[in-house]
Amino acid sequence: MSGRSPRSGLLPGTLDMLVLRTVSLGPLHGYGIARHIARLSQEVFQVEQGSLYPALERLLAAGWVRAKWGSAPTGRKARYYTITASGRRKLGQEISSYDHLVLAIARVLGREEPA
Amino acid sequence: MSWVDGLRHRLRTLLRPGRHASELEDEVTLHLELDGIHEEDASQTRRRFGSPLYHREETRAQTWLRLTDIARQDVSAAWRGVTHAPGVAGLVVATLALGIGANAATFTMLDALYLRAPAGVAEPDALRRYWVEHFRTGEGLPFKSQKVSYPMYRVLAQASGNRERIALYDTDNSLRLGRGFGGPRVRAVYASSNYFSVLGVRIAHGRFYTSAEDSLGHGASVALVSHAFWTTRLGGDPAALGQPVAIGTHTYAIIGVLDPAFTGLDLEPADIWIPLAAVPGPPGPWWEAVHNTRLFRLVERGGQPAGALEQRATAMIRAFNREVLPARPDTLMNVYTGSIIEARGPGQPGQELVITTRLAGVAAIVLLIAWANVINLLLARAVDRRREIAVRLALGISRVRLVRTLVLETILLAVAAAGLATLAGWAGGTALRTLLMPGTDWARSALDWRVALFTGAVALASGLVAGFLPALQASRPVLTSALKSGARDGGRHRSRLRTGLVAVQAALSVTLLVGAALFVQSLRNVRGLDLGFDQDRLVFASLEFLEGEAPPRPVIVAALRDMASRLAAQPGVERVGRTGMEPMRGFSITELFADDFSLESVRSNPEATPYSASVTPGYFEAVGLRFIRGRTMAGGDVDGGPPEVVVNEAMARLVWPGRDPLGRCMRFVKPENPCYTVVGIVENSRWGYVIEPEPKPQFFLPLGNLPSPGHSGRVLVVRAEPGAAKQIAAQVRALLAEAFPGADVQVRRMLENLEPEYRPWRLGATLFTAFGFLALLVAVVGIYSTVSYGVSQRTHELGVRAALGARRADVLRLVVGEGLRTVALGTVLGIGLALAAGRLVSAMLYGVRAGEPLALLVVSCVLLAVAALAAAAPAWKAGRIDPMTALRAD
Repeated sequence: MSGRSPRSGLLPGTLDMLVLRTVSLGPLHGYGIARHIARLSQEVFQVEQGSLYPALERLLAAGWVRAKWGSAPTGRKARYYTITASGRRKLGQEISSYDHLVLAIARVLGREEPA
Repeated sequence: MSWVDGLRHRLRTLLRPGRHASELEDEVTLHLELDGIHEEDASQTRRRFGSPLYHREETRAQTWLRLTDIARQDVSAAWRGVTHAPGVAGLVVATLALGIGANAATFTMLDALYLRAPAGVAEPDALRRYWVEHFRTGEGLPFKSQKVSYPMYRVLAQASGNRERIALYDTDNSLRLGRGFGGPRVRAVYASSNYFSVLGVRIAHGRFYTSAEDSLGHGASVALVSHAFWTTRLGGDPAALGQPVAIGTHTYAIIGVLDPAFTGLDLEPADIWIPLAAVPGPPGPWWEAVHNTRLFRLVERGGQPAGALEQRATAMIRAFNREVLPARPDTLMNVYTGSIIEARGPGQPGQELVITTRLAGVAAIVLLIAWANVINLLLARAVDRRREIAVRLALGISRVRLVRTLVLETILLAVAAAGLATLAGWAGGTALRTLLMPGTDWARSALDWRVALFTGAVALASGLVAGFLPALQASRPVLTSALKSGARDGGRHRSRLRTGLVAVQAALSVTLLVGAALFVQSLRNVRGLDLGFDQDRLVFASLEFLEGEAPPRPVIVAALRDMASRLAAQPGVERVGRTGMEPMRGFSITELFADDFSLESVRSNPEATPYSASVTPGYFEAVGLRFIRGRTMAGGDVDGGPPEVVVNEAMARLVWPGRDPLGRCMRFVKPENPCYTVVGIVENSRWGYVIEPEPKPQFFLPLGNLPSPGHSGRVLVVRAEPGAAKQIAAQVRALLAEAFPGADVQVRRMLENLEPEYRPWRLGATLFTAFGFLALLVAVVGIYSTVSYGVSQRTHELGVRAALGARRADVLRLVVGEGLRTVALGTVLGIGLALAAGRLVSAMLYGVRAGEPLALLVVSCVLLAVAALAAAAPAWKAGRIDPMTALRAD
């Protein structure tokens, strides 16, 4: 899947889940989140800023993440995102409904278990 | 709490949008830098980054800033829409300002009378007033009064078991500051010592009076003053505390100044509060005497639930009545309690309240007319804007948002109208106050935040109501036809809705104008009543003296007699007489015995109880009462004339039905008193009120030979030559002031005495006429704008007609005729409405029925004539349409 068309690479609503999952590991800045998702997906998901920052804004507004300014390793000021308690709950819900969905698709495609 | 974090973030963004944007900028710059470090190909980075503008907008769209962005866009779009057609905008604003202003003005009255608790009082909702309803068989309608005697207060206090928390008070408007009669008026409140604690009034300086200073028979001459009185009359000087202040015949030491917010419990601000026990009265063991005749109003805080209390108090007060009035077992009383706001209580609504509520209804109708007018104007404008709106729809605006911006246009106009309406409401409210309640020195301005809030709310509602329908209609998407069409096919869409609205306006205007006509007719009827007096030529004069300073009665009488003969010699004076009491200023009843008649026999019908008057023989000629038979008393204006009496026709019919009264004998006060011979019968006159259902029986005793002392005949009656009353009144005043330097000289023309009697009628006529013409004005604007709009839409059609040979008169007839048909329909509707609504005002009318055909006819003609004029102007223009221009245009 190409990174040029980021939205096509993601099921609707999964970006929020991926971001939440990523920041649940520890505080990260925007670029860090994008890199993390790209690395773990073996560059399948290239999260663009055009999607990432609106998503982060959405998560902030919902109270699922918190943001704090701190210093990046390069010495620059960067905004670090951490997950909140309700963000974790949300992540749990998102993962289980995602599992549900994937399982359903797998069954339709005739595979017992997702690969 | 995470949602709190979320909310805080949203609010921070909303309140500091600049900071939000710069933070995002920083973040993105860092992102790009870091990306650049990891990625060699800068163009690749930029491409992956995408449009910075796009992502900024996307991020912004996630925040509440999106809402403010949309609001700003909508408002500026609406503003452009408004300014694009300044003529329509001006008409809409003017119409709405009239409608809203009329409502704001009536609201100031309603608010003051109905909605507002007295200021400076703690928890007014926990306070209540008492009303006592009196009724006796045969005495007409029962009436509820707040005023109770001191013994009745004791019964009520016992019934409530809450004596400590029931305060008594009474107001006295007759006092003057300083000794004598020259000082400014002082409004005094006689209040029990617990009045202030019951109301929870705070004190600004000094102290309240104690219960010891208000104890029976030992009232201390102390007083509290209002903050306003302290600053204006006592110079705001703290040293004024403890100083004596003379009020009328008494002197009080000022011991405290009340909180500035508190001005008493009535609309008119009070100046001074005096202990009940210090109420001026005759010296000696007078307390019980004074307090048995003086009546008080009661205010209670807390206490029993109303229902149980009313029941208990009613039972106890009836038992009390049976005890003190065993002779009148038919005396019944009911006790009620109610709000501290008097108008909300169970008492009879005052005339000002009745008129105010009717006016509020009228103002609402004016607003309805204004709405109809605005809807009409906007519908017309919407047709003009079809292309603009079609373009906006074609460019992808949602219909909801389009309607929103269109309604917003109307709301903008309504807000502008609200500004004007606030001014109109303030001016109108002040005018209403002086019209409805003259002599009331209002504690508060007519304009305050409540009125402003009301005006704003009505304006907002007006914007929504008047804007929604036209917006909905305008946004109906028929894109292609709208984009293609021009004015040419506009004529085909003559809106039934717009015609209906004009008809509604006409109908409502007719209703109000019929109301106005009825009130004007009533006023004429009342003014035209024959009172039996030559009211426009009469001047009455009387004297008041300070207690203890009045000369002995014989001295006064001699001086008045002397004055009467001096006045009679004045040029411009025709006759002078004297009487004990002038008409419309009170009455007196004297026990009388004549053949088989006695007052006892008319006890069941108080209307038939004869009034007595003591007059000089010249009185009848002076006031213009004609003799039916017989003559006036002999003896002239001297002491000790013959015992003769004059009766009026009603009296003659009451006492000697079918018999000749002349030469009969009447005895007064006691049956064994000497006989007075009836020597004359005069025509009936109105004595108590301008409108009396039956002429009042009345008899006239000679001032020079009264059956009992008590009437001094201290009122001079001067009959002036036609047109000279005003000037004679001034002369009389000067002469009396010169002759009695220490006295309060009161000179009134009879017309002034009658003024309070005519006032309700005049008020009804003035106010309904004013509002009726307001409605007519708005309706005329509506008719004019609709017709002229119709003409502009039909330019093409009229051009064709002109080309086919229609003359100017034909076009005029066509256009005016169509306008008039609508108005005629509305007129018929309006007459129906007026007939239905007549019931609501019939009690305020005199000698005219709600369905008076003349009023209906006159109003219909006026409206049709005005409508014809309003339609003729655009029709005239239509007649000048040049067929060539019309057919070529668009």
